[in-house]
Amino acid sequence: MTGQAGTGRRPDGAAFIIAALLAVFGAVPLWDASTIPDKGGYAGIGPAAMPKVVGWALIALAATTAVGAFRGRLADVPRQNPVPLFWIGGGLVLQIALLHTIGFSLATGILFATTAAGFGKRNLVLTLPVGIGFAFVVYAIFDRLLQLNLPGGPLETLILGG
Amino acid sequence: MKHAILGAVLAVASATAAFAEEYTIMAPAAPGGGWDSTARTIQEVMVAEGISGNVQVQNVPGAGGTVGLAQFAASTAGDPKQLIVGGYVMVGAILTNASPVSLADVTPIARLTGEAVGIAVSASSPIQNINELVEMMKADPGAVSWAGGSAGGVDHITVGLLAKAAGIDPTKINYVAFSGGGEALAAILGSQVTVGISGVGEFLPQVEAGALRMLAVSTAEKWPGTDAPTLMESGYDVNVQNWRMIAAAPGLTDDQKAAVMADIDKLANSAGWKAALETKGWANTYLAGADFEAQLAKEIEATTAVLKDIGLVQ
Amino acid sequence: MSTFDFLLQGLGTAIQPMILIYALIGVTLGTAVGVLPGIGPALTVALLLPVTYGLDPAGSLIMFAGIYYGGMYGGSTTSILLNTPGESASIVTALEGNRMAKAGRGGPALATAAIGSFVAGLLATLALAFLAPHIVKLALVFGPREYFALMMLAFVTVSAAFGDSTLKGLTSLFIGLGLATVGIDGLTGQARMSFGIPQLLDGVEVTTLAVALFALGEALFVAAQTHGLADKVEAIKGSVRMTREDWRRSWPAWLRGSAIGFPIGAMPAGGADIASFLSYGTEKRMSKHPEEFGTGAIEGVAGPEAANNAAAAGTLVPLLTLGLPTTATAAIMLAGFQQFGLQPGPLLFATAPQLVWGLIASLLIANVMLLVLNLPLIRFWVLLLRIPRPWLYAGIMLFATLGTIGVNPSPVELSMLLLFGFMGYGLRLYGYPIAPVVVGLILGPMAEQQLRRALAISQGDWTTLVATPLAAALLGIAALALILPLILRLRGKGKVLSQIAGDSD
Repeated sequence: MTGQAGTGRRPDGAAFIIAALLAVFGAVPLWDASTIPDKGGYAGIGPAAMPKVVGWALIALAATTAVGAFRGRLADVPRQNPVPLFWIGGGLVLQIALLHTIGFSLATGILFATTAAGFGKRNLVLTLPVGIGFAFVVYAIFDRLLQLNLPGGPLETLILGG
Repeated sequence: MKHAILGAVLAVASATAAFAEEYTIMAPAAPGGGWDSTARTIQEVMVAEGISGNVQVQNVPGAGGTVGLAQFAASTAGDPKQLIVGGYVMVGAILTNASPVSLADVTPIARLTGEAVGIAVSASSPIQNINELVEMMKADPGAVSWAGGSAGGVDHITVGLLAKAAGIDPTKINYVAFSGGGEALAAILGSQVTVGISGVGEFLPQVEAGALRMLAVSTAEKWPGTDAPTLMESGYDVNVQNWRMIAAAPGLTDDQKAAVMADIDKLANSAGWKAALETKGWANTYLAGADFEAQLAKEIEATTAVLKDIGLVQ
Repeated sequence: MSTFDFLLQGLGTAIQPMILIYALIGVTLGTAVGVLPGIGPALTVALLLPVTYGLDPAGSLIMFAGIYYGGMYGGSTTSILLNTPGESASIVTALEGNRMAKAGRGGPALATAAIGSFVAGLLATLALAFLAPHIVKLALVFGPREYFALMMLAFVTVSAAFGDSTLKGLTSLFIGLGLATVGIDGLTGQARMSFGIPQLLDGVEVTTLAVALFALGEALFVAAQTHGLADKVEAIKGSVRMTREDWRRSWPAWLRGSAIGFPIGAMPAGGADIASFLSYGTEKRMSKHPEEFGTGAIEGVAGPEAANNAAAAGTLVPLLTLGLPTTATAAIMLAGFQQFGLQPGPLLFATAPQLVWGLIASLLIANVMLLVLNLPLIRFWVLLLRIPRPWLYAGIMLFATLGTIGVNPSPVELSMLLLFGFMGYGLRLYGYPIAPVVVGLILGPMAEQQLRRALAISQGDWTTLVATPLAAALLGIAALALILPLILRLRGKGKVLSQIAGDSD
C-alpha cells in the first residue's frame, strides 16, 4: 500500500497529523492514570496499570508512524468529496439535538433525508416525507408492539395517542 | 373530512391523556436487567389490577442507576405520576460515583422485594462454619480470597461489614470482584477462591445439589430454603438485604404523596403482585412509609461508613 | 431411560402442531429483530418475553429457543450485506462476508452462514444433550489464570485479522484498548477516563462502537467517494447458490467452527464473540488460500458463523446444569425459566426432565425451521442490495441509530456514535483495519481483569500464571503462535510458512 515518497500532492502531512492524534490519544490515559490512586491491593497492579501500558504504547506507535512518514506515504488516499460528509454528519447532529423535542420519527426522518442527500438525492420534498413515514412505522412497531420506548414527540402523540 | 379525522384523533389523544391514574416508571437500567424487570412487572400488575389505566416504562441506563436518578430528580419535581425503581445497589453507587444526586432528592415510597446475601464455600472446602472462616481472616486476611459481585456492590459491602464486626481491618480484605454472580459462582465451585458471596438465590440450587456449603446469610432472620445461621446469630452485628424499592418525584405535597403511597400499597397487597413475586422467585419484603424511611437512613449511614473503611469513598 | 429415549420423548412434545406454530413465530420474530444492528438476541428475547406470559411452558420455551437461535442467525445477514454487524459475535462475519457481497457473492455468503449455523446448531445441541455434564467439569477447571491465558491466545489468534501492515494493525488494536479503559474499573470501582461525565462510567458500548465504525464509517466513506448523484445499484453477479467449490471449502470450516464454538461458549467467561475470533484466526491459518482473506474468503464466513451458533448452544450448558447465566441472553433465558417457577441448576434434569428435553428437542426443531425459512429468503435478502444507494444508506442510517436510541437514548451515547462514525471514516481512508479496534474493546478489559484477579488470589505472585499445566500450555501455544511466524519471516522463509499451513490441513 505504501506509495513512493514524493509522488503525492502533500508528501506525508497526513501521517504527521495521525501521529500527533495518536500521541494526544496516548497522553490522555497517561494523564488520567496519574490522577488515579493506585490501589493495587493484593494483586500488586491496580486500575492505573492498564491505562499506563496503553498510553505508552500509543505514544510509541505515534513515534513509529512519524518516523515512517519520512520514508514514504502512509496510504494512497483517493480524492474525497467533503460535501456528503457535511450532509450526513449534519443530519446526525440534528437528530441528536432534536430527538427529545420533536420525537423519533421527525428527527430520524431528517437524518434519512440528509443521508439520501449525501448520496446525491437532494429532492427533500420527496425524501423527507418518505423518511418520516418510514421512521414512524419503525417507531410504531418498536415502541408500541415491542415496548422498546423510543422518544416520542408531537407526531407520535397525535397519531398513536400518549 | 381530514379535519374531522384529525379532530377525532385529537379527542382520543386528549381523552387518554386525561385518564386520572397514568404512571410513568423509570427503570434506571437497560432493558432486561433486574430493575427493568421489576418496573415491567409493576407495570403489568398495576394495569391488570386496575390501579392505573396506562403505565409506561422508561429505561435510562448508566452508572449503577445514578444517571437515571439524576435525570429523574431534575425533570419530574412536583409531578405525582412519575415513579422510579431503585435498590440497595444505588446507595453504594451514589457514594462510589460521587453522584451529585442522592436518594434524598427523590421521595422514597416503599421497599418491595429483597434478597439475603449468602456466604458459601465449595463442598470440598475444609471450612465448616462462619467462625472458622473469620478466624482464618484474623490470622491472614490476604489468604482468604472472596469472590463476589462488582466492587462497591452489596456483596463487597457485606464483606466489609463482616470484617468490621469481627474486628478485622476492612482495608485488608482480599475481595475479588467478578462481573456477575454467574462468573463468581463458577470460581467458587471450581475452588479458585476461598469463599464466595452472592445473592442466596444463586447459591441455593448448588447447596441443594451438595456442591456448595452455605456458611451464613446476611439478613436478621433465617432465609427460607436454607438452615444456614444468620451473621447476627453467629455473633457478628451485620444485617444486610439487597432490596428493590419504588420512589416518587421530589417536591410532592403531602396529599400527592399519600395518593401514590395508597396506590403502591394496593399494588403490594394485590393477588396479582403476590403471584408475580411467586413466579419470579422474589421475596416479599414490603416496607412502606416512615418505617422504610428510617431503615433507609440507617442503611445509608452504615454503607457510607463501610465504603470509607474499605477505601472506595474518600 | 437413556439420554436417547429422553430426547425422542422431547421430540414427541416438540412436533405437536401448536408447538410447531410457536416455533415458527419465534424463529420469524427472532430473525426479523436480530437482523437490526445493535439489537442482538439478548434484547430481542427481553423485549419478547412478555409476549410469552400467557403461553404454556412448552410453547413459551420453544418460542424462546426460536427467538434465541433466530436472533443469532439474523445478525449475520446485515453483517454480510450491509457491513453492519447486528451484535459483537457477527463482527468477523462482516470482514469476509461483506467483501463477498461486494464481489457479487452475497448469495453464497448468506448460504454458507445459514447452513453453517444449522450444522453448528445441530452438532452443538446434540453435544448439549449428551456431553453437558462432562463439559461443565471442564469449564470449572478454568479459573482467572486459565482465562487470562485463553485471552492471550485469542489476542495472538485475532492478530491474523490485522491486515497487511503490522503498524496499522497494532495502532487500531491499541485505539480499541484505549477506549476499553473508559469507565468504572471492574475490580476496584475506580472511575477511569470518564472526565466527570456520568454516562461514561459504564464505558463504551461494544454495539455502539461496532455500528459506528462499520455502518456509519462505511456510509461516510462511500458517500465521500460519490461525486454527484449515485443512483446506481450494486450489480448482483453470479448465482445465489453455493458452488461445488464453495461446499468443499465450507464444510471443514463448519466442523472446526462448531468444535471451537461449543466448548468456548460453555465456559463461564467465554462467549460467542471470542469463539468467532478464534475461529476466524484458525481458518486463516488453516486455509489453502490465505491470500483470499481480506478479499472475501468463504471459510472466513463459514467458520465464525458456525462458531458463534455453537457457542450460543454452549452457553446453555452452564445455564441448564449449573444455573449459571454466562451471557446477557442466557440471563434472560433464566428469567424465562423462572417465569414458570423453574430454577435451572444441577437438579433441573432430575426435577423437570420433560421440560429440559422438550427444550433441547425444540432447539433442534427451531434449527431446522431457521434453515427452511432462511434459505429461500436469501434470494429476497440479496435484493436489498438492488435498492439505489441513497435510499439504501438512508435506511442503514435509520436502523443504525435505532439500535442505539432504543437501548440508551442519551445524547452522550448518540454523540459517541457520531464521533466513532467519523473515526471509522478516517481509519478506512488511511487503510487502518477496523476489526482490531472492536477486538481491543472486547478483549482488553477481560484480559486485564482476569490477570488482576489471578494476581489478587495469589497475593501478587506472578508465577501463578503458569502454575497449572493448562494455563502454562495455553500461554505456551500463544507464545509459539506469536514468535514462530516472526522468526520464519525474519529468515525469509515465508514460503515455508504457507507450506506448513497447507500441510496441516
